[in-house]
Amino acid sequence: MNSSLILMRLNLVLLILISVIGCTHQEDSIVSTQTSTRILQIFNWNNYIAPETIQRFEASCDCYMKQDYFSDNEEMLAKLSAGATGYDLIVPTGNAMDTLIRQGVLIPLDKELLPNLKNIHPAYLNTQFDPGNQFSVPYAYTITLLGFNANKIRDLGLPTDTWAIIFEPQYLQKIKGRVTVLDSPRELLAAALLYLGYAANDQDEAHWNQAKELIIRAKPFWAAFSNTSYIREMAIGDLWVSHGYSNDLFQAAMDAQKTKRPFAIDYAIPKQGAVMSLDSMVLHKSGKYPDLAHQFINFMLDGKNSAELTNLIGSGNPNVTAKPFIRSELVQNKVIFPDEDTFSRLEMITDLNSTQRRILSRIWTEIKLR
Amino acid sequence: MPLRHFFLWIISLLVYAFLYIPLIIVVVFSFNDSKLNAEWAGFTFHWYKVLFNNHEMLLAARNSLIIAVSASILATILGTMAGLAIHRYQLKFLPFLAFTPVAMPEILLGVSLLLFFLQVLNLTLGMLSIIIAHTTFCIGFVTIIVRARLQGMDESIFEAARDLGATPWQTFRHITLPLIRSAIIAGALMSFTLSIDDFVITFFTKGVGEPILPIQIYTMIKVAVTPEVNAISTLLMLLTLTLIIIATRFDTSMLKGDSKQPR
Amino acid sequence: MVLTSFRLPGEFGGLVPIHILSEDANENPGLTIETYQFFFSDFIYFEIFIKSFAVATLTTIICIVMAYPLASLIARSHKKFRHLMIMLVVLPFASNFLIRIYAWMIILGPESTLSHMINSILSFFGIAPVTLLFSPFAVLIGMIYVHLPFMILPLYTNLEQHDPILLDAAQDLGASSWQRFWYVTWPQSLPGIFSGSALVFIPVLGMFAIPDILGGTSDIMIGNLIKDQFLSTRDWPFGSTLSIMLTLMVLVIVGLLSWLARPGTRTI
Repeated sequence: MNSSLILMRLNLVLLILISVIGCTHQEDSIVSTQTSTRILQIFNWNNYIAPETIQRFEASCDCYMKQDYFSDNEEMLAKLSAGATGYDLIVPTGNAMDTLIRQGVLIPLDKELLPNLKNIHPAYLNTQFDPGNQFSVPYAYTITLLGFNANKIRDLGLPTDTWAIIFEPQYLQKIKGRVTVLDSPRELLAAALLYLGYAANDQDEAHWNQAKELIIRAKPFWAAFSNTSYIREMAIGDLWVSHGYSNDLFQAAMDAQKTKRPFAIDYAIPKQGAVMSLDSMVLHKSGKYPDLAHQFINFMLDGKNSAELTNLIGSGNPNVTAKPFIRSELVQNKVIFPDEDTFSRLEMITDLNSTQRRILSRIWTEIKLR
Repeated sequence: MPLRHFFLWIISLLVYAFLYIPLIIVVVFSFNDSKLNAEWAGFTFHWYKVLFNNHEMLLAARNSLIIAVSASILATILGTMAGLAIHRYQLKFLPFLAFTPVAMPEILLGVSLLLFFLQVLNLTLGMLSIIIAHTTFCIGFVTIIVRARLQGMDESIFEAARDLGATPWQTFRHITLPLIRSAIIAGALMSFTLSIDDFVITFFTKGVGEPILPIQIYTMIKVAVTPEVNAISTLLMLLTLTLIIIATRFDTSMLKGDSKQPR
Repeated sequence: MVLTSFRLPGEFGGLVPIHILSEDANENPGLTIETYQFFFSDFIYFEIFIKSFAVATLTTIICIVMAYPLASLIARSHKKFRHLMIMLVVLPFASNFLIRIYAWMIILGPESTLSHMINSILSFFGIAPVTLLFSPFAVLIGMIYVHLPFMILPLYTNLEQHDPILLDAAQDLGASSWQRFWYVTWPQSLPGIFSGSALVFIPVLGMFAIPDILGGTSDIMIGNLIKDQFLSTRDWPFGSTLSIMLTLMVLVIVGLLSWLARPGTRTI
């Protein structure tokens, strides 16, 4: 009798569940009636395409677009290396794309299908990761730089155009506990190397150790290593300086503005140089509709569609036809459209080999533990 | 004696407060008229409206709920049986087998399960793969709690039942099951919360294009913690509350007809 | 029937380590032993293990202290309310994990009411202000918060089955309330404490999200280290090595604890 009651109870729970499913059934049926049409499957960063762009593309191609999200290139690589399949199009950053190309999992592009490729500024083509753009088309980019609470920094009289502000104790002591740096070994190491006067991609172990010492010396003044939460904390005013991505700091600046904070968030590229992360569209071998993916790439190369993304998240834009569609206050932004001098100071991070990665991991562990 | 009781109540209330303070913040801020959630800016239903127009999010919540309920039911059944088996046969190595998925770091479990599904079972990733994966790591938790309950039990009850001519099935139904019922319920509740929260294993074992709530929330938080996320959390809690209340309604009616329950 | 059904979890549990080994062998055929050498050659990894075990132990102890009164209160209440009370413990955990952690960020933030309160008390005594967020303290709070139900539930299931006759008997024999607790209730509840501790201790060791979000610049734990190997350094063999070391250590500890908890069960 008891067990039958337990079974009844389980049935009831299932029943409720089914009724819950029933509630959401309506929209589900919309999707299911259209499974006969093609679905373009994209593995993308979250919030990395404007909703209106998706709508227009779906209208133009008589197809559906579905996205899976990742928040880190390594997450995406890990899932793919373990054998996940079904993605037509992926939007990796340069060095991760390099890995995908070397793994041989990408389909070469058919340039015939991409007449809009001419819209991309030549500076963003033919990168070291994919000479001749056999596999990839630039999508958008972000720059790793310094974000700051403009009012606070002005009051404290601190410089904003140098990495020194996050590495030199003389500046840091004024902003102790109000600084975060990225929780990423490559990004932080690059910043330290640039500050020390080396290249962001310097692979000399002695230089790495110098950078490590610099970081360990500055660390007591930092509040935390943060990849995401600094966006909100900056916008609220709890943090004053952040080593972060231009897209995210753009978000923080917009949030502070929208919620009428008594201060402004600003960001700048340090004079020593900075890291640029160029994200590209590539086709994965496991995709069902390479032709549809080509159509999407060509669509995104259109100035208007490319501009919509920049308007949404403040990403750097490699498209020369996008400018007329960009919101007026963003056109002058050097982070979105760098001038030649700024561009010459930007560097893209290259992949390391497995021995170097292990050495770096060892250094990173020591940084985190001390 | 009453003083001691009073003391116990105070501590318990403090523990409840500890559990609920963050929750109050979550619920209150879901009605907050400010995107940043920094301070109270006025009451609004705006975020619920946004949420109800976000089909992907609702679909994700539905998927997660289905997964959590199925996985917790499966894990509870299997875990209870495993717990019984461990107790019954007193095998030395079995507890370790049950412990291993609990002790294994999530990422490793996620990657291993993904490899296992793709290369051994040749399974297409989807709801089924997530349910199996979640069941796998929940089983250990249920097993541990059921076994702990059995450990403190008086063996003579079972002997008495056998002496009275009960078949093993009858013994299980009328003696064992009522005795370990609270452990089973606890195990089921634990599995549910584990499953509905799990990000890492879900990320690896989910199929293409299927929105699952923790993943959806994680990627949303990456952009900004909008009160919309608070709104979905609030709704999810309400839904869980209803589910549990209805389930326990049955349970109390069950208690009344259950005279064998000690004390 | 019971036995066959058990084979399923066993198989799953068993298969996982085999896969890790094949993983090692596939990626770097000759390197398997080398990764272990790398691990043992460096004291720094050992340090992280020790630190993580310390945090896990502290979390477990605080969880026991917090969970015991609540669990015994629930176990003693009227049957009608028991399930409601247990449900109230679990309910917050139906919301999302990250959302709850972010709620703690709000509570512990530098401009929060709690921070202001604590710092004004501290300054009254002439102590320099402290930051609550991004500190080991915040990590500990987060760990306790997330794992507390895993202590309350097993403890409750254990305490609920205690026979009050034993306590009455002890009282009749003249035992004080403290003696009754220490000689009757406590030994009987050891299996519950043991399983609750396992369910708190083990997940804390593998946790990486809480140190990431609430922790400061020095709050790395073994979970973070393992995550980094898979999702940052792309060093799967070393990640697997660390995982196996962790799993083995945990199993040894569990084995020891269950051996220690055994006498407790006999006193019934």
